[in-house]
Amino acid sequence: MKRAMILAAGLACATPAFAQLDFGRLIDYGRKAVDAGGKLKEANREFSQDDEIQLGDGIAATLLGASPLVKDAGLQRYVNRVGRWIALHSDRPDLPWTFGVIETKTVNAFAMPGGTVLVSRGLLDQLASESELAGALAHEIAHVVRRHQLAAIQSSTNSEVWSSIGKDVAGEAIARRGGDTFGLKSKAAGLGIDAVKNGAFLRPLDRSMEYEADRLGVILATRAGYDPYGLPGVLQVLGTLKGDGSGVDIMATHPAPSDRLSELEKVMPAVEGYANQPRLEGRFRQVVGSAK
Amino acid sequence: MLHLLFAALLLALPLAGFAQDQAFTNRSTELKEKPEANASTLATLPENTGVKVVARAGAWTRVEAAGRTGFVRVFHLRFPATVEGASSSGGSNPFSAIGGFLSGQKSDDRARVATTGVRGLSKEDVKNASPDEAALKSLQGYRADKPAAERFAREGKLAAVKVADPEGDNKGERR
Repeated sequence: MKRAMILAAGLACATPAFAQLDFGRLIDYGRKAVDAGGKLKEANREFSQDDEIQLGDGIAATLLGASPLVKDAGLQRYVNRVGRWIALHSDRPDLPWTFGVIETKTVNAFAMPGGTVLVSRGLLDQLASESELAGALAHEIAHVVRRHQLAAIQSSTNSEVWSSIGKDVAGEAIARRGGDTFGLKSKAAGLGIDAVKNGAFLRPLDRSMEYEADRLGVILATRAGYDPYGLPGVLQVLGTLKGDGSGVDIMATHPAPSDRLSELEKVMPAVEGYANQPRLEGRFRQVVGSAK
Repeated sequence: MLHLLFAALLLALPLAGFAQDQAFTNRSTELKEKPEANASTLATLPENTGVKVVARAGAWTRVEAAGRTGFVRVFHLRFPATVEGASSSGGSNPFSAIGGFLSGQKSDDRARVATTGVRGLSKEDVKNASPDEAALKSLQGYRADKPAAERFAREGKLAAVKVADPEGDNKGERR
């Protein structure tokens, strides 16, 4: 008996690392057998929420490399409170939701997989109330909740590369772009950086995804207690803009505001009863007005 | 009283960044005295009536039309920049609505004209950017936790309501 225990302990100690990896691979094979039909499904199962967050971190860090944060802690905290309050009413309330305002006049907002949302100072300057900011953020939150950018990046990524990310062992430093001096080391973060640098992240999403994010955005903002007409108000003012020709502005990356308004009008009857909810123009002007 | 004064002040504020205050009715619609469906009708505006936008106010837009000031439903207006359907097919040139006076210029010049000297972001800026991890960390330092968000909502008298999503929130859930 004692001998058997010692033998067992010895075996456990002697189990080399590669045996554990093999065990992991066996699980993968098992999954593949189960999902034999759907390649997409298999890849998604292996791509965890942590991978999604790291992917988003890679994108966010790179966008911040192109356009710095507005240096106004009060403003940054304000957009985080508006955004988190809305996200709490979504299907993914517990993501590490992070919101920021970037210092560029280009009018746009960006949602990253995993829950980071950046809006430009140029967009903020066009808005008239907290309910309009809520509408813009809720549209981006809806993209994250429905994993739209994730699907777009996946479809532009080699499937071998994509499925390798799910197998990337946490803590395994990928010595790329500066090795230890650079902390976005996971494969997923590296993919996010690549998605910005090769242009995949700036490519417009399917129109159907934009319309879906508009519809869900209105519902999320309404649930959070805002006047549902915030997002239509944003689209209205975007309809007066002509784009700056940069290829990065909202006109280049989204369907025309008039088309979005036509689509959105169909869902407004469902929220008409909440049209008297607060717009909070005063609070918005106090924070955003003083940030100018 | 103070409340009323504040409201009046807000109404009087000019619209932030309204590049153009001109709009057109996209259908026959009523100019209302107040932003309410059952308010008295000041005038009936036929489709394509030009109006001057004064302020956005939720479901309603305050406009000047037919010599009066009143309110029109927000979805009953369209705006000049989209009149030409400039980018309604998605990838088409967003400048076609003002192509007249910009035609013949290189795209870089157009960008400069449109941003009137203010720094904007270009595709090249984004593609050539290096990841800024310190900025990411500082961004993440501004996060609001659940209690902070709830406190903020209470301060703004934002009351959560239950609204069903007809498409189901789980649509797109792949797990």
